[in-house]
Amino acid sequence: MIKVKELTKVYREGRGIRNISLQVDAGTAFGFLGPNGAGKTTTIRVLMGFIKSDSGRVTIDDYDCWREKTEVKKIVSYLPGELHFMENLTGVDFLDLIAGMHCDCLQIKKNRDYFVSALDLDLKILIRKMSKGMKQKLGIISALMLDASVLILDEPTSGLDPLMQKVFIDLILEEKKKGKTLFMSSHQFAEIERTCEQAGIIREGKLLAVQSISQLREAEYQTFEIEVESEKDAELLKQSQLNLTPIQGGCFVIRVAGELDNLWLALAQVRAKRFRQRSLELEEAFMDFYR
Amino acid sequence: MNRALFRAMFKQYRKKVAAISTGIVLYEGLLTWVYPVIAKNSAVMEIAESIPSAVKTVFGVPENARTDTFEAFISGQFFARIWVMLMALYGIETANALLAKMVDDGSLAFLLSTPVSRSEILSTQTGVLISTNSILVAVTIFGLYFGTFCSGIEIEHWRYLRFGILGLSFFSLIESYSLFFSAWFVEEERALTYAAGLTLAFYGLDIAGGLSDKLSWLKKLSLFQLFQPQEVLEGTTDPAWPIIGLSIASTVLWYLTKKVFETKDLAI
Repeated sequence: MIKVKELTKVYREGRGIRNISLQVDAGTAFGFLGPNGAGKTTTIRVLMGFIKSDSGRVTIDDYDCWREKTEVKKIVSYLPGELHFMENLTGVDFLDLIAGMHCDCLQIKKNRDYFVSALDLDLKILIRKMSKGMKQKLGIISALMLDASVLILDEPTSGLDPLMQKVFIDLILEEKKKGKTLFMSSHQFAEIERTCEQAGIIREGKLLAVQSISQLREAEYQTFEIEVESEKDAELLKQSQLNLTPIQGGCFVIRVAGELDNLWLALAQVRAKRFRQRSLELEEAFMDFYR
Repeated sequence: MNRALFRAMFKQYRKKVAAISTGIVLYEGLLTWVYPVIAKNSAVMEIAESIPSAVKTVFGVPENARTDTFEAFISGQFFARIWVMLMALYGIETANALLAKMVDDGSLAFLLSTPVSRSEILSTQTGVLISTNSILVAVTIFGLYFGTFCSGIEIEHWRYLRFGILGLSFFSLIESYSLFFSAWFVEEERALTYAAGLTLAFYGLDIAGGLSDKLSWLKKLSLFQLFQPQEVLEGTTDPAWPIIGLSIASTVLWYLTKKVFETKDLAI
């Protein structure tokens, strides 16, 4: 459905993306992961026909994303990463505008009502009076209500609280069940992990890897922090097979790839004052690719 | 032209148009109310005639023009300077807000993600610009009809209508080059600076050219030479050719804007 072949787009100041190739099959979901400024949004801008590539070919459903951009948008729904609305409109005015610029059919209005109720948004409020989270919800509704076969979402959950992030993921899974193709950029591995079959990792404009989520899980590192009671415990920990980084005194950071068996074995031999798992961060999860 | 977009954009500007329209009508009401008093006072007319031509030029009164007519009064007090600058600034600011600002702040991303082509979006935004411009011109002309009727001032309605059409085409050209700069720079500040700078340059040339005979050639470089309210209202100049010329220039500029906008990289 989405084909990107040897795509290069370099801005005047030298930033951009170089030689990116990827493919997203119809009905599957692709997560695009990478730090800020890696080139995720630039890739999406090319897909949406906002900017022209320097070289390479980018198509959605065999339509060229630059030459046939109007055709592409008949089958694509888009959520921008930076949300800027016409601030003097109310939520309902804005959604009417987007629906009107598509087909203004009854189905869109039905879908709108469903998503408004799922995300619990008051559409009568002027957009300029909405909070960041409310604006994010409005953007999500405008993208999902169109029932397009391809969804391109640029960091869709930024600004949403954890509860709404969960609701969003559930909505995306529902869309996937309907056979939609999904291209989603994110900083959050957990979000991609739950919704996508494949993930691409981009850094400094280069696509480092495209792997299935199950492959990535195997390569994924989990990080823990432990504080042991005595020097003897610290010695025992050092003698184990674990990847240890001392912080201070009896405190260590443990990085574990794949299965956790070795960790449990080592922990059984020491007395721990404190033990906690660090939140899984993208940088940690994909450290191997980043190095 | 996309109907949904036109409706939404028009809704955004209707309050502004209503406010400017109210201001115009009230000011015209004031001018038409005081004119009969001034016209009866011969001393005021003598003062007006004794003003040097260079000073008259600053207020938009052409050299050797009459000063004892309502057309001279309304041109000097309103059309030649206040109205033209008000309308020009409205056109520049609105053209900028309808394109460059929306690219700059990213709000165009939602519109461009719909199956409406860039040229259709541009034509809709132009439609909003021209229609609000038309409303302001129509309010100005009909407001004056009303004011003169209430004050018992006799005017040639047809000449005022032709003057309205001239105003519409004149401001359309200013809006067209403002849109062009918006599409070219896709950056609010630069587009606004160039459009306002060019208009002020034309305005400055018009004023400077009237200050002395030596500088009169400067007037020929100014777009404002095509907009001579008093002469059109008194019937001493036929506005047909300026209207045609301005309209052709606007159309050509719009076509260029469309070409530029269709191929421009929009980092939104």
